[in-house]
Amino acid sequence: MAQAGSKKSQLTKINSKTGINSLIIFVVLLLAWIAGFSSRLFAVIRFESIIHEFDPWFNYRATAYMVKHGFYNFLNWFDERAWYPLGRIVGGTVYPGLMITSGSIHYVLHLLNINVHIRDICVFLAPIFSGLTAISTYFLTKELWSAGAGLFAACFIAIVPGYISRSVAGSYDNEGIAIFALQFTYFLWIKSVKTGSVFWAVAAALSYFYMVSAWGGYVFIINLIPLHVFVLLLMGRFSNRLFTSYTTFYILGLICSMQIPFVGFQPIRTSEHMAASGVFALLFAVATLKYLQTMLSKSEFKSLVIFGGLISAGVVFLTVVGLTYAGYIAPWSGRFYSLWDTGYAKIHIPIIASVSEHQPTTWFSFFFDLHILVATFPAGLWYCIKNVNDERVFVILYALSAVYFAGVMVRLMLTLTPVVCILSGIAFSGLLELFLREDDTPRNEDSDDDEQSPPNNRRLYDKAVAGRVPKMKHEQNKESDGIGPNIRSIVTVVIMLLLMLFAVHCTWVTSNAYSSPSIVLASYGSDGSRQILDDFREAYFWLSQNTADEARVMSWWDYGYQIAGMANRTTLVDNNTWNNSHIALVGKAMSSNESAAYEIMTALDVDYVLVIFGGVIGYSGDDINKFLWMVRIAEGEHPKDIRESDYFTEHGEFRVDAEGAPTLLNSLMYKLSYYRFGELKLDYRTPAGYDRTRNAIIGNKDFQLTYLEEAYTTEHWLVRVYRVKKPDEFNRPRIPVANRVVKSQNFVSKKSTKRKKGTIKNKPVIVKGKRLSKQA
Amino acid sequence: MYKFVVLFICMCSVISAEQINQLVINKNVERTIDLTSQLVKITATITLENTGKDTVRNYLIVLEPDTVGNLSYISVKDSLKEDLKLTPSKVEKHEKDVYSVQLKQPLATGRTAGIILEAVFTKGLVPYPNSITQKEKQLVRYFGNHYFYTPYATSKQTTSVTLSSRSVESYTKLKPVSQSDSTLTYGPYSDIPAFSQDRMIVHYENNSPFLTVTRLERLIEISHWGNIAVEENIEILHTGAKLKGPFSRYDYQRDTGSSHHSIKSYRTILPAAAYNIYYRDSNGNISTSQVRTRKDWIELELRPRFPLFGGWRSSYTLGYSVPSYQYLYRKSSTEYVLNMRLLDHVFDDMHVEELETKVVLPVGVTEVQIKTPYEVQRLPDGVTFKYLDQFGRSVIKLRKTNLVEQHIQDLEIVYHWRSGLLLLEPVLLALALYVLFIIVIIYVRLDFSIHKPEHAKKE
Amino acid sequence: MVEAVTMMRYVSPVNPAVFPSLTLVLLGIGVFFTAWFFVYEVTSTKQTRDLKKELLVSLVASIFSGFGILFLLLSVGIYV
Repeated sequence: MAQAGSKKSQLTKINSKTGINSLIIFVVLLLAWIAGFSSRLFAVIRFESIIHEFDPWFNYRATAYMVKHGFYNFLNWFDERAWYPLGRIVGGTVYPGLMITSGSIHYVLHLLNINVHIRDICVFLAPIFSGLTAISTYFLTKELWSAGAGLFAACFIAIVPGYISRSVAGSYDNEGIAIFALQFTYFLWIKSVKTGSVFWAVAAALSYFYMVSAWGGYVFIINLIPLHVFVLLLMGRFSNRLFTSYTTFYILGLICSMQIPFVGFQPIRTSEHMAASGVFALLFAVATLKYLQTMLSKSEFKSLVIFGGLISAGVVFLTVVGLTYAGYIAPWSGRFYSLWDTGYAKIHIPIIASVSEHQPTTWFSFFFDLHILVATFPAGLWYCIKNVNDERVFVILYALSAVYFAGVMVRLMLTLTPVVCILSGIAFSGLLELFLREDDTPRNEDSDDDEQSPPNNRRLYDKAVAGRVPKMKHEQNKESDGIGPNIRSIVTVVIMLLLMLFAVHCTWVTSNAYSSPSIVLASYGSDGSRQILDDFREAYFWLSQNTADEARVMSWWDYGYQIAGMANRTTLVDNNTWNNSHIALVGKAMSSNESAAYEIMTALDVDYVLVIFGGVIGYSGDDINKFLWMVRIAEGEHPKDIRESDYFTEHGEFRVDAEGAPTLLNSLMYKLSYYRFGELKLDYRTPAGYDRTRNAIIGNKDFQLTYLEEAYTTEHWLVRVYRVKKPDEFNRPRIPVANRVVKSQNFVSKKSTKRKKGTIKNKPVIVKGKRLSKQA
Repeated sequence: MYKFVVLFICMCSVISAEQINQLVINKNVERTIDLTSQLVKITATITLENTGKDTVRNYLIVLEPDTVGNLSYISVKDSLKEDLKLTPSKVEKHEKDVYSVQLKQPLATGRTAGIILEAVFTKGLVPYPNSITQKEKQLVRYFGNHYFYTPYATSKQTTSVTLSSRSVESYTKLKPVSQSDSTLTYGPYSDIPAFSQDRMIVHYENNSPFLTVTRLERLIEISHWGNIAVEENIEILHTGAKLKGPFSRYDYQRDTGSSHHSIKSYRTILPAAAYNIYYRDSNGNISTSQVRTRKDWIELELRPRFPLFGGWRSSYTLGYSVPSYQYLYRKSSTEYVLNMRLLDHVFDDMHVEELETKVVLPVGVTEVQIKTPYEVQRLPDGVTFKYLDQFGRSVIKLRKTNLVEQHIQDLEIVYHWRSGLLLLEPVLLALALYVLFIIVIIYVRLDFSIHKPEHAKKE
Repeated sequence: MVEAVTMMRYVSPVNPAVFPSLTLVLLGIGVFFTAWFFVYEVTSTKQTRDLKKELLVSLVASIFSGFGILFLLLSVGIYV
């Protein structure tokens, strides 16, 4: 009731002061945009305008390709520089929305002769879209509640860390624009449900199309909207508006979404999309029944409902099951299963589990990413449940499902963030409407107060208020009249303080946690001076300048996109982890000993091997720390050759020092990381070969490489590049002719003598390792 | 095109075979061959005498046949250090690389005159062995001539060869020859006939940077709002002995003295007024550079992303801005003169294989005249569109190959331009905004709705 | 060279040092008029709208914003 009253008063206000109101809304949204934009610029200011991390490098490379070669060539792009020797059909395996967006911005700007480099567009795309997200959040919240709540929500989403984490300048990823598409689709959907107009439904479908083209998370929309419709049906809230909007949206959205090459026929063939079509059919059934209800008598109708319902349900169910068995409808995909069973990925798909952002979310990260919003959004949810209507059902469902998914995977915090902002906006707006009433109903209220208070003294005033407080808390919603000015000001101040803390926290988190490009590292000296560690780019640039153009670089898949993007060289595996066995092969090469690895590497035509080694500067994200995942993934495909247990000590520890497992100490990854590291003394206090990341003196110090040679190591040893020798380069003796004669005489033992020659130089450990692999 | 034709005709008229005046003799030739850097710099002080009866106006310089193509720069001065005019010429049996020096004063019978010849050759030093490991030193060989190659008879000459280090592996010993410290002295030799050749080989250690700019693209952009932006896209290649075997960071870090031939950093000198300096490559900003402001210039210490060993290449972009009053002059109300270096300093003793200088003139420039300090190839003009340009800007493109430090000279471009064109951009901007406003004005007058919305409360 | 020295050095018509403050002033006025224009568009109804006033206000807004944007570009180093 109070809400309605306040709303009405607000409406009158709007009518009287439209100009001022729209100016305020405009200014607030503009400020939200500016604040959101500028708080995402930390990385650009501290470092430079550069693409961050891993996936954005691919997106950037694809965008640059599209800008250079045109859209159709991009769709037909077969990238022979990735997944050697398989290659990758980029046009068919990518959500092109991101590239199209920045490509068209680039196109328009260049049409106007504003010569912006495509890199800068890519870098600043996410911050710009964060402003659009704020605006669409405002509109969505306005539809759900009120303009005031909308402004709150817009301001929240502009700076909330959960969203900033995916949209800082330089983080050029699908999520950056997808959240905007998500919010905008929801806004248009709500609008179409409210109005029942085909126009809004079509707009929602088009926006959904954009979302499909931008991010795989579109599945969330195409399940949430049917869920909304379904729940509305269950609640008996069927209406012609709902019918119009959903049927329009579904048909158009389906057809549009199938236009994306990567999605193709999935919307009618996979289980993830079946809910939508089921609800579509159900909606028709309900509509038919409603129509028949007007035509038939009550008993006829009853029997019709029972029989018709049973038969149709059976038919639908059997069809779906039959089609699934026949293979027309794909069952749930593995990634989807991992959403329901958090342990699923760990057992079946180590490659998904190996990504940190696929881990379950901790409570800490909820607070870290959302701060006070995590506490206030249930209040907003409660407001919505209390004053439920068609569109609020939607936001309730949105909140509940997003909370669940965010709990399963850190990555899906992103889908939770917008709804948390909306509901917190509603909560704060509700609170402030209650406590800031002074402005509108106020005059008479104040006069009431005045009439009452003159007898009371100022001193007693406090007391009276204090006595009234507990009552208020319970009956807030019922009667807001009884709130005294002091409690009002206290609550207002507290809210303001909370909001201020929130802003401070957001800025702090953004600046400290989410604004590192991760390809440029910065370390701070004791005197506060900043030292930039630019080793990644050093190595990639070295590769791009000083290796043959068609050289193939083997590295762990994390660095595939960066090598392709910055070094422009062929990679074996990259962050598009579509081929598990290929990755496992690389993992096997990394975890085998040198000679076994050499066989794999020659089979794969590898010219260079790139490893990341953080031991010198204490960088924890290096390959040795990721090594167990390589072993696990390799073991999944080659259980005979690689066993995870071999890499642990007897006590089940993973250690690189002298007590480490011999298999580990002789693996290729170990050798490539620590080659000649045993001689290096980092400072006077530590002994030679002291690994700063793992705080240990390495176990296998003095060894030589037979099949590889160091090609380049960066200044801080962070990236080490090795060249794979050609067969005629290693162990090929520069010996007199006499020896060659000996070799040709006993042909069979030639290899073994050769091996012996190589191994005598090395430590006996290596001989062991070699034999092991031979037997295995 | 027309200019080329004219130039061609001029050249043809000049290049008419000249006779070698056998009566001119080189009385004394003192030659210095400077081999301390990657370049071969030859300075010869020649005292010539006219033993004939006629006065002599021209002196011919002929280059050795096997250095043809490596000559980058040649100049001749008289004894007062004033430049003498040098024109390409031709004599029998020598079609190319013959220069005729026009003497300041005609040389009367029996008189002597002194001239100083300065020539810079590139690619004259050949690494030998041509690939070395990281720890080895870089040895190079120089192939030259014991005698000063000249179409005239020489009475007496000495040659001193300056090397970069004392360690000399071997050198040809045409007596009398002596070595002191890092200098070899050949001669004096006397009474050498014209066109005598005797191969001189010096094999010595040279660890000075063998760095070649394989391509330099210099872009000069004039804005009449008071700024000239310069951007240089530079591709460099270490042309010394190639690195053999592995590169070991450990060895490289342990003793920095071990890898002499690698190039860690070098200095670039920019004009003193330069600001907004940036140093980047295709992967972004290169953070390892230092700017030091000197009194008359700005010194930029550039460190490539990685140390350069033989055969390694790198590329980068260096850009800066200078205020327009440094280089742009106003001749009359519509005539402007740009006086700017055609090529600027990249590093000491540099060798630029290919230079392409592009000058982007302001919008609406007409009647462009170019004066180059030396002969360059003019490529067809281009058009480019910068920020907010609706009419393109003409781009003048000049190209030259094989340049050295001596080529750092001023280019002069005269053009006509009306200052009113300065207002073009803001007016365009204002118009574009005005169009947007008018669209809004029209939009609020339109009504698309089929029927009046029921809920009129929405604004 | 000698000839060049006798010629006048070319100096920008506006001192580059005042670009930032000029930007602020011009853009400030431009934004004010833009805001006025939009508030007017929103508040006025079909009957109360005055085309002349709209055109005038928007003209002033666009001229000031146009020059403001130009000097903004100049002051951040994009010399058009």
